[in-house]
Order: sequence, then C-alpha cells, then structure tokens
Amino acid sequence: MAARESMLVDQLAKVAQGDRAAFSDLYQQTSRAVYGQCMQLLRDNDEANDVLQETYIQVWHHAGEYHADRGSVLTWMMSICRYRGLDAIRRRRRDVEFDSVAQNHACEKPGPMQNAGDMVDRQRLSDCLRDLDERYRNSIEMAYFRGFTHQELAVAMGQPLGTTKSWVRRGLNVLRQCLGS
Amino acid sequence: MKPDNPERNHALAAEYVLGTLHGAARKRFERWMMLSPKLRRQVWLWERRLQPFNESAPSMQPPAGAWDALERRLFSAPETAPEPHAGAAAWWQSALPWRWTTGIAVAGLMALLIWTPVPPKAPENALVGVVQGTQAQPLWVLNASRGDHSLTLRSLPPTLPASDDQDYELWLLPESGVPISLSVLPTEGAELRITLNHEQVKQLLQSRSLAISLEPHGGSPTGQPTGPVVYQTQLVDL
Repeated sequence: MAARESMLVDQLAKVAQGDRAAFSDLYQQTSRAVYGQCMQLLRDNDEANDVLQETYIQVWHHAGEYHADRGSVLTWMMSICRYRGLDAIRRRRRDVEFDSVAQNHACEKPGPMQNAGDMVDRQRLSDCLRDLDERYRNSIEMAYFRGFTHQELAVAMGQPLGTTKSWVRRGLNVLRQCLGS
Repeated sequence: MKPDNPERNHALAAEYVLGTLHGAARKRFERWMMLSPKLRRQVWLWERRLQPFNESAPSMQPPAGAWDALERRLFSAPETAPEPHAGAAAWWQSALPWRWTTGIAVAGLMALLIWTPVPPKAPENALVGVVQGTQAQPLWVLNASRGDHSLTLRSLPPTLPASDDQDYELWLLPESGVPISLSVLPTEGAELRITLNHEQVKQLLQSRSLAISLEPHGGSPTGQPTGPVVYQTQLVDL
C-alpha cells in the first residue's frame, strides 16, 4: 500500500510539472476507483463519465496543490470527484426516488460499508457507524451515498426538516467523537 | 455570520464534506475556506475520516472513450464549436425575476463594455472579454479556453471590492433559462481560474453572454441574482 501511494505521489508530482505521460499513468492507476465512486453517487453513465473527466481536468490543473494533509492521493482525487458529483446532482434537479431509497434503508439490507474490506480505517468507521443511532446512520449514509440535501432527507424519511437536520448534526458529532482525529 | 466558533467550524466542515451544506451556504463556506487555513484543515480531516465510504464503492472500468475525451478537453480543441447565436441578447432583456431593467440602468451609468482585439500572445481557440469602467479603464479580463474548459478571471489593479459587505458576482446568461452563477469576482489584481462543467461550456459557447451583479458579501444568498446588474459583456473569439 505504501509503495502504491509513493508511486501515485511521484506521478502526481510529475503531473504538476505538466508531464502528460505521468498523467496517463495516474489515470490508469486510479480511474477505476474514481469512476466507481462517480457511478455510486450519480447512478447515470453519462453524468458519471462527465464528472470523471471534470475530476481529472481538475487534477491536471491543481496537481501541485496536493499535500499529505489532504490524505492519500486517492482520497484527494475522490474528494474532487465527490464535490463535482454533488454539483452535478444539484444541477440535475430531478425528483429522486424517495420511497425506494427509504425502503432500502428501512429493510436492513447491508449498506455499502458492510461490503468494505478489513482495512483499519474502514473498520473504525464501520464500527463507529454500527454504534450510531440507526436514524443518524441512515441520514448520514443517504446524504453521503445519494447526495441528499437536508430537505430531501426530510422528504425521504418522512420527518420534519428540523428533525433530519438534527439527526445529521448529532450523527456527525458522535462520529467525530468516535473516530477522533 | 462567519464560522468563528470551533464547534460550529467542526459542524460546518462535516456538513460540507457530507454534502448537506449546499446552495448559497456552501458557496459562503468555500469562500471562508479560502480565507481560513484552520477551516481548510477541518475539511481535510473530515475528508480523511469519511474516505472509507469512498473505498467501499466497487471499482468500475470507465467508458472506453473517456480517456480520449479527456485528452481532447485538456490538450486539443474541438474541430468546430457552435456558432454564437444571433439572438443571445434577447433572453435577459425579458427576464424580469432579477430586475434587469434596474441593472441595465445602473450599467449605463457605471460602465462601458468593449470587446478587445486579438492580443499578440493570445492562446489559440480562446474567447476573451474585457469589462471597462466609466473612465474606460479595464476592470476585469475574462479568458475562456475551449480546450480545457477553464475560465480565468483577472482583476486589473486598482479594481477595488464593491464595499465591505458586497461582492461582484459573475453570471453566465444562457440563451434560455435562469442565470448561472460562475463565481464571485476577484479584485485588487487577484486572478481566479475556474473550470466550467460540460453544461456551462455548452451554454457559454451558445450565448457568450456574461453579467456582473452586486451581491451581498460571499455571493447571492439565493443562487440567483438579487442585486443590480452593473456590468455585462460578451466573449469574442480570439
């Protein structure tokens, strides 16, 4: 893992200097993970493709701004992808399938985290989520994985806006205490 | 209200990363992030905390043409671009929701806009617009690149902030539909480069029309223009 991260940092440093071959290598190494995240959030091939390209355009222009405080290279790239994906969702302004989403979360199907591997960070987050009040956990997962706003969460969960806002806020606060820094 | 309270910083940073902070509040927060290293670090911390969520997404092979399309967008220009639309100016003249009439009156008092000729070292396949003030002094230079979908907003000294509690906000005026916020404009010689998304590029190439309105500090709180339009411009080919 450390060797891979070191390789990605090297590639990114070269990208910051305008090295197109390194950019191609970086794309080969990371695009499957980034595209997977695009699809998870957007669930639309065309939009995911567009956000994938926007992500790498931003990586090309801002490679020199990466530093270790941002997390791993992939964490940084996925954050870019996520923010561009959220922008796309907000632009889309389509009606979301609140009922089906609410049902999914109500029927105790394993969430995406249950499929995660055994890495320490994943395990910590998974443990913290498991200990979280179910309402808080559902709110956070729906916001993260579907890009729901407070208002959309309220509709999806059939609760007043203030209630879902409070669930998200409390859930994040408990997560912060559990995960620490 | 600025996030000067540590607990509130934590909460806002968390909701920014989660995505539940949106609209005008999100834009305000992004502006605060530009000003506050402490706030940026909070955001990075939350990005790392929630990264395992990202890793739980199954990897997927991107579409076969994605890399080629990306290379075209970054490193070469499309063969042809949509022609500017003859009726581009008509839309906003009838768009009442944000008081264009007032805006145009203010614009008449405050500014003249001209198109620049081709500068000697201009990059290929670019569009440019210059916003000038009442004394014909250039205030901002806007450069758009078809190649990488970037829009560079450069303020020319001594372009000053609108006031302590107001900012200039740049809007893309589509041929139809509502204005699209692009950015709060830099001042005092600062330069800002933004990357437009596919839809914004499409709209900009069709209408080429931009407007600048006066908005509360940090940008419009509604996502639509609330203040008068003080300048307007159209991009022209270099």
